[in-house]
Amino acid sequence: MILLAGSPGLAAKQVAGVVKNVKGEASIERSGQITSAIVGAKIYQKDVLLTGPGGSMGVIFRDDATLSLGPDSRIVVDEFLFSPADGKFSFVSKITKGTAAYLSGKIVKLAPESARVETPLAVLGIRGTRFVVKVE
Amino acid sequence: MINDFAERRMNKKSVVTFVFAIALAFVFFVAGCAKKNIFVLLPNPDGTVGEITVTTSKGTQVVSDAEHATEVSSADVLPSKPVKMGKATIEENFGKALEAQPVPAVTFTLYFKSGTNLLTEDSKKLIPDVLATISSRNATDISVVGHADRVGREDANRRLSYKRAVVVRDILTSRGVDPGFLEVTSHGESNPLIPTADEVAEPKNRRVEVTVR
Repeated sequence: MILLAGSPGLAAKQVAGVVKNVKGEASIERSGQITSAIVGAKIYQKDVLLTGPGGSMGVIFRDDATLSLGPDSRIVVDEFLFSPADGKFSFVSKITKGTAAYLSGKIVKLAPESARVETPLAVLGIRGTRFVVKVE
Repeated sequence: MINDFAERRMNKKSVVTFVFAIALAFVFFVAGCAKKNIFVLLPNPDGTVGEITVTTSKGTQVVSDAEHATEVSSADVLPSKPVKMGKATIEENFGKALEAQPVPAVTFTLYFKSGTNLLTEDSKKLIPDVLATISSRNATDISVVGHADRVGREDANRRLSYKRAVVVRDILTSRGVDPGFLEVTSHGESNPLIPTADEVAEPKNRRVEVTVR
């Protein structure tokens, strides 16, 4: 199947998401460097999202999922792959401390088994839902 | 009660057409001192409720009721049976994370006249809404996905669906949207809104979906 894409130079490192809200101390750790998170900042696979005592931030991903952090939190975007044309999906995040809110997107809709959240003590999965199709 | 409601809604949808897997919302919390991990299932923005599983080495707990929470106190214990968490407790523990949630993505569906890359009159009227939404959200990540119905050859429909996506892209960029913000793709006859047999005309599948994040 041919996928025709308009944006030039789809690099090997594809954007996973974008920061939409920032409050107080919020940063992104990437390849050992920590930078302040700002609205509009791009998020890539392997990025670590960090918030301080008064901080919070919200990210929206390419598959429409949203992830937001409360204060004193740390989440790694361990895997993010959204390629519907190739049937390739993956969304794995690891929260090591703090609080987060998550709204699932197309990856969960299309391939729920490919999404999970890991915490220090457990793994959260999303169970597939039933659906029926009627063709008249 | 929540499950009854969800079931009735799902049955209603099944008569109409194609039901998507339900999006779900949850929050979880890692406690510093007690070292508990807490998972709370919340209703989706549209009121439906999804389902989550929480797994340790001892097994899996399913949570399928809104505002119900399961806790894990150590890695080798089964997660607790779900219990309803009060709104005040949810707010106290998760208020800041919930407040930081981005507005969910919104999708506009623009329809085309059969076999063409011409927007219908009604769909042309949606363009100002699309632009206003992009502007009010300062959106920098927008997808434009073209589709076709199953009338005609598959390869021709792939090209047609791409042309349709390009038409919408050009309308948006001509009105000031940065082309770098637009991801333009086409699905040809795939991913119909309404599944049909081959060669069946279906106006609802002749569309471009613009999703604004």
